[in-house]
Amino acid sequence: MSTPDRDTDVTVIAKTVTRVVFPLILLTAIALLLRGHNLPGGGFIAGVLTAAAFALLYVIFGLDFVGSDLLDRGGTPTVAAGPAIVAEYRLAFAAGLGLAVTGGIAAIALGFPFLTQAVLFLYDLPIYHELELASAFVFDLGVYLVVVGALLTILAVVGAE
Amino acid sequence: MGGSVAQTTAEPTAAVLVAALGLPFLGALVVPLLYRALGERVAYVAAAIALACFGLVASQYGTQGTVTVPWIPELDVALVLYLDGLSLLIALLASGIGVLIFTYSGSYMHGESGIARYYATLLAFMGSMLGVALASDLISLFVFWELTSITSFGLIGHYREEASSLYAARKSMLITVSGGLFMLVGFLLLRYVSGEALASATYTLVGTPDSMIANADAMRVALQDAGLFLPVLGLIAIGAGAKSAQVPLHLWLPNAMEAPTPVSAFLHSATMVKAGVYLVGRMRPLLVGEEWMLLFGTLGLLTMTVTALLAIGASDIKELLAYSTASHLGLITAGFGFANQLGAETGVFHILNHALFKATLFLVAGIVAHEAGTRAIDELSGLRHDLPLVAVITAIAALGMAGLPPFNGFYSKELLFEAAYEVAHTDGGLLWLFPIVAVVGSVFTFLYSIRFLWLFMGEKPAGLGEVHSPPALLVAPPAILAALAAVVGIDPQLAVDTIVQSAFGSAVAGEAHTMSVHLPTELKPAVLMSAITIAVGIVASPFYDRIRDAVRRASRGPLSANWYYDGAVDGLERASALSLPRVQTGYFRTYAAWTLAATSLLALAGYLAAGVSLPAFTGLSVALPVVIVLAVAVVGAAAVGIAPSHVAGVLTLSILGFMIALFYVLSNAPDLALTQLAVETLVLVLFLLVLDKLPAYYGDAPLSRTLRDGALAAGVGVTVFVTVLVATAASPNDVIAEFLVERAPVPKEHGPVLLDSGGGGNIVNVILVDFRAFDTMGEISVVAMAALSVLTLIAMRGRGESS
Repeated sequence: MSTPDRDTDVTVIAKTVTRVVFPLILLTAIALLLRGHNLPGGGFIAGVLTAAAFALLYVIFGLDFVGSDLLDRGGTPTVAAGPAIVAEYRLAFAAGLGLAVTGGIAAIALGFPFLTQAVLFLYDLPIYHELELASAFVFDLGVYLVVVGALLTILAVVGAE
Repeated sequence: MGGSVAQTTAEPTAAVLVAALGLPFLGALVVPLLYRALGERVAYVAAAIALACFGLVASQYGTQGTVTVPWIPELDVALVLYLDGLSLLIALLASGIGVLIFTYSGSYMHGESGIARYYATLLAFMGSMLGVALASDLISLFVFWELTSITSFGLIGHYREEASSLYAARKSMLITVSGGLFMLVGFLLLRYVSGEALASATYTLVGTPDSMIANADAMRVALQDAGLFLPVLGLIAIGAGAKSAQVPLHLWLPNAMEAPTPVSAFLHSATMVKAGVYLVGRMRPLLVGEEWMLLFGTLGLLTMTVTALLAIGASDIKELLAYSTASHLGLITAGFGFANQLGAETGVFHILNHALFKATLFLVAGIVAHEAGTRAIDELSGLRHDLPLVAVITAIAALGMAGLPPFNGFYSKELLFEAAYEVAHTDGGLLWLFPIVAVVGSVFTFLYSIRFLWLFMGEKPAGLGEVHSPPALLVAPPAILAALAAVVGIDPQLAVDTIVQSAFGSAVAGEAHTMSVHLPTELKPAVLMSAITIAVGIVASPFYDRIRDAVRRASRGPLSANWYYDGAVDGLERASALSLPRVQTGYFRTYAAWTLAATSLLALAGYLAAGVSLPAFTGLSVALPVVIVLAVAVVGAAAVGIAPSHVAGVLTLSILGFMIALFYVLSNAPDLALTQLAVETLVLVLFLLVLDKLPAYYGDAPLSRTLRDGALAAGVGVTVFVTVLVATAASPNDVIAEFLVERAPVPKEHGPVLLDSGGGGNIVNVILVDFRAFDTMGEISVVAMAALSVLTLIAMRGRGESS
């Protein structure tokens, strides 16, 4: 994928479509994440979808593009050190795991068992009128980050192979 | 439990027992640190810890009962300890002799390597033994039991550079641990049966009104009804026999003398091997009966005689003592085996007597080896000139071991004779073999005991160099033990009243009578048997060397137990060397094939063994769209098998995946469908990404492999199919789904904050992030770990290749 001569295999149509579709997929993923509490969706699906979007980028543009152009990083990824971009992915899943645990510990701090979740209803808000805030969303966000980070790490490392 | 025991109603103190059990383990942690500051003097710290344990246990003298220390109160899990006469006796022996062993080690182990490890392991070992004695339920008994095996493995293999030491350690571990596993199966069967016999299934062996021993009659009836009485008896006998070195599992004990002598003294007198006879004594009220007597009476007497003969054949003083230990354990087992009260008296009294004289003799053997520089029996004699005090100590202990009046071993051996005679007299027939074999075994015991004493008698051989006099700290421990043995010998009733009587009560089902032990004043059959033993022993002692040579000749080749052990171990090693190239080829497909085949076989065999029946077929009621979707999926699956290239294979595989997603949609599971779609897409992309590097076409696989893989795939398919059928057919009474359906959505009436309900419309997601968030947490940790391991593996492989 990352060899220059392979780039000629990818047609302009594919590249253009990817440019349009990529943000759409990400948007869908975020929508799935946000509405997961009440409608089909959730952190895991959103995470897999996000990873799929990046996988599309890898297939069409190659590993280097995501590393150098998209995230403004120089250098070719090498396997021995792990692709440079992997550091970000690793950060993502570490942060996700941390977020999930912290959310659970917050419940302990408030005097409830580990990982107790609560739902808070806000009334009389402008525009929204009524808003439901679930603490489980924090946990879901953690799941999302872990899935995205882990899948992309595997993808990048295996892809670089 | 009955008799005089019933009068002692005081309960033991929980804190004291827990402290006694915890101190050695705590000490094991601290000793390596203290070693840096104190050096070899750490031995006396360990001795102080053992002394504290002894004091704590002794302070509970006269109490009986169960103490419960809550551990995980929510799950009703607690540490339960039980103290009665028998556990008190074992605990006092383990900690009391422990004090002397540590003190002795302080001098004996001077200048040795691995001192910190030695004391830490020895302390942990002592703690494990206390745990065995104090455990009230079968699970903790098993855990402490195997802990003694593991710690003794470290102790026997103390000299890590010597092959014989490692061989001995491995052997004892292999035999005692695997024996323990048999015992565990027996314990599990006991629990299973206790569900039938008692109000509810329990692991509690003793101490509470609903324990197994408190309901021994109901347990026996239930065991017999289930046809499990003999299996349980056999399994427990294997466990106890392996630990207590009963024939034919005695072969690890002589090798265990590779351990430093203080360890041998401890293992062979007061601890390790006593765990086995303790178990026999403990289980006795539960299982005693006709079968019990035949099994343990035969096993014990056989062991007693065979190993006594082997002791005569020994050429090393520690080897002699090791075989003699097995022989005396046989005596104790036989005692517990006889189904009359005299038998229980024999067992408990000989536990005490054997611990006293055998620990003494091992410590003496250590002194002899240390000061004379050799352990070969033939090179040693006349040591009394150089070691007069040690000679007196040895005389007391060895004559006790020989069973001569008025030394301590005499009384318990006399009880054995009485018990065996009573059994034979009551039941007659073949059981007359019991008293006969007991006498024969005792003659051999007499012979080797006298031979050991002869190390100190006669003239000093010319070849023996200068014998130094040992330091006081080396002589004091055996002197104390010999003094105790002498006291028991002179006034046995004192020992009986102090401790043996209450221990006796623990080993008897029903009321225990009051024990009375004294020198015989009239001619009873037992007295006659003792007289025969001593007379034959004296007549036979001039022929000692001939008997020894005969034993040595006989115990070579196929007749020696080692022959079987070594053969079995070698066979196992060869078999595993043969199977290795078939199982571990380094190819992923080999590992996958073995793993899948084994899993399927085990699962199917499990269903067969458990007699699971498939749900009845109630006719097809499937909608047309589902049929179409599944049919396309099947076509996709078939196409994978005949795909001409990797890419085609992956693409047809995704047909299967996407059809399953459609199936989820049709089954009203949008969440699953979404996940399946996303994962399927991602997997497809990933595959294509990887396949870029692989050759486009498959190589030609041989037909045999295709057939084999096909059969394997079919087997896995059947397993999954059956599993799904069986799993979905089981419908529990309290349906979890109802709980979740009720609590997941927002309730009709609710305040601004919801705590006891998920408050979400998507039940699947609410379950994932709220009700079962802890599960999800584990899952995402696994995902994160998988990513890390991919990273590490590939990075490491790269590094390995480049260097």
